[in-house]
Amino acid sequence: MTAFAIPADIQPVEPSYRNALRARAAVFWVPIFIGSLILDRALLAATPFAGLIPTLVGALALSGMILAPDRIYRRLGYAIDGRLLRTVRGWLFHTDTIVPFVRVQHIDVMRGPFDKLFGTATLVVHTAGTHNSVVTLPGLSPERAAEIRDAIRSEIRADVD
Amino acid sequence: MSQAASLPASQEQLGPPERLHPLYLLTGLGQSVRGAWGLMAGGAVLAAQGRWWLAILLVAGSAVFSTVALLVGWLKLEYRVGPHEIRIDSGWLSRTSRAIPFDRVTDVDLEQGPLHRLFGLARVKLETGGSAGGKAEEGVLHTISLERAEALREHIRSRRGKADPVVASVATDDEVEPIFAMDLKRVLAAGVFNFSLAVIAGLFGITQTMGDAIGFDPFERSFWVGLLTQSAPLRDTIIEHQIIAAAAGTLILLLLGIGTGVVRTLLREYGFRLDRTAAGFRRRRGLLTLTDVSIPAKRVQATILASGPVRRRFGWWELRLQSLAQDGGKGDHVVAPLAHEDEADAILGSLHWKSGVNPASWRPVSRAFVTSFVGILVPAALATIATLPFLGPVGLAWLAGAALAIAARWIDWKHTRFALEHGGLFIETGWWRHRRSMIPLIKIQSIDISESWWSRIFGICTLRLGVAGGTGFSDHHVPALSRAEAQILRAELLT
Repeated sequence: MTAFAIPADIQPVEPSYRNALRARAAVFWVPIFIGSLILDRALLAATPFAGLIPTLVGALALSGMILAPDRIYRRLGYAIDGRLLRTVRGWLFHTDTIVPFVRVQHIDVMRGPFDKLFGTATLVVHTAGTHNSVVTLPGLSPERAAEIRDAIRSEIRADVD
Repeated sequence: MSQAASLPASQEQLGPPERLHPLYLLTGLGQSVRGAWGLMAGGAVLAAQGRWWLAILLVAGSAVFSTVALLVGWLKLEYRVGPHEIRIDSGWLSRTSRAIPFDRVTDVDLEQGPLHRLFGLARVKLETGGSAGGKAEEGVLHTISLERAEALREHIRSRRGKADPVVASVATDDEVEPIFAMDLKRVLAAGVFNFSLAVIAGLFGITQTMGDAIGFDPFERSFWVGLLTQSAPLRDTIIEHQIIAAAAGTLILLLLGIGTGVVRTLLREYGFRLDRTAAGFRRRRGLLTLTDVSIPAKRVQATILASGPVRRRFGWWELRLQSLAQDGGKGDHVVAPLAHEDEADAILGSLHWKSGVNPASWRPVSRAFVTSFVGILVPAALATIATLPFLGPVGLAWLAGAALAIAARWIDWKHTRFALEHGGLFIETGWWRHRRSMIPLIKIQSIDISESWWSRIFGICTLRLGVAGGTGFSDHHVPALSRAEAQILRAELLT
């Protein structure tokens, strides 16, 4: 049994993906921060705990907007050769996924509003599996995503013929 | 993948429109009664309040309404069978026309409830891959005559893609020896093993909370005293010893749990018969409701042999096939509810999948499977010991439970191993719920290696396989591999 080499040259995704993550985190955290401010003013202003909740939430929000995107970006990578797509992500919960091209059912290239703003795209690969049937790879440049899609598509077509 | 199968769109190529059997009005009634239980409850409440007229009006109105709805449904449902597809037009206010190409039909299942059997009718279910969630009724013909149903199935099987050989006529199957069958004794044995702890726990809860109200609490002396008034000596013993009442109560609940399991199994598995057809398997079973399910061998993605500690002692196994379609929305197809190992091997052998693994090629998983688990419990256990004087018996019970859990984990580890042979991955896991799965390498859709911050401390990760079909709750994975082992195994799986 000769084992094929697994592509090991993990490439990083676009650096602008960090900004997309930051914007997404801001959309999540800013309303929560405002909510905590209102809560603080309305209920806790007279107690000794005044200002505690907004401070905590603010610290969380800042770390979520400044530190976390950088870390997520550093841990996210992909590798690709003629047969396999490999995505690697996460530290707290680390996953290393491999999808053989011939197993792919269909492929999406998605661009949300933040993706468009920061010039990134998300590649979504669907397999027939019940577990892990959708493998996503965010933060690619749109051209690169389309390139990978075409590579996979041509491989699928070769399989059918 | 033959996406290019031509879909005839014009009416001329389809057969004449057909209706469901008129007796659908009768067989469908049960369903609408079941659907109207809310109305029934409302009627009962009104009746209890003494407003009889309103209650009768409500029930009669709903009866008339559902009958008319059934009639309209019957009048408005037509199906047409063509050479390559079936078209089902249904509905009155919102009309649906559904076309199902035969190329996409994975299974054709026949089901016969008691009424269906009385009149020689059947319900036909066309399973397509898309119905994997089992949410929508994709192509169900509720009531047509049995001959028409079997003819339809033959038609679909013979028209489905060219790759499928034309299946031998179903009628000749009966003379062929089935590949697996269960007699009544076997079904009853399966029922005994099917006793559900959940039922017992539920009954226990009910007797404890509501036993006084419904006058049934086998854990109380009064229950047995009342029951045993005729037998004075027995009654006196119970009056003296509460523990005997408790034991008798436990026994009764156990019997009830076993009884429920036996009845449920008997209803479902009676007359179990599995035939090997040219294209796959054909399974027939049921006491009141007969089901007739075909499982194409090509669509089988993985095989699962499952057993528990008691069943394994008797050499009993349950064999399931993970297929693209679901078994009536209940997950994997059970092809042998209770079989000996050699019987299961015979079924697997007919798939031309090798099942025996060379003992030397089994590989164990890391010992960290146990230690990472112990690592979670130890701090909690230390905290418990430190505060034991305050916790008292609760703390002791907790410690005992933790020790038991660790022991169980260790036994689980002893029973977990994997092997790569005959072009398939064999995984054995667990002791209490022992599973032996086999996944052919060509059916693997994706491979995940995952680790959490906790498992990283112990240097282990989990290798998880994406396989089509199944329920999603039961994935195929190899736990507790060192990173290097996992990467080697992954490379081997991708060859």
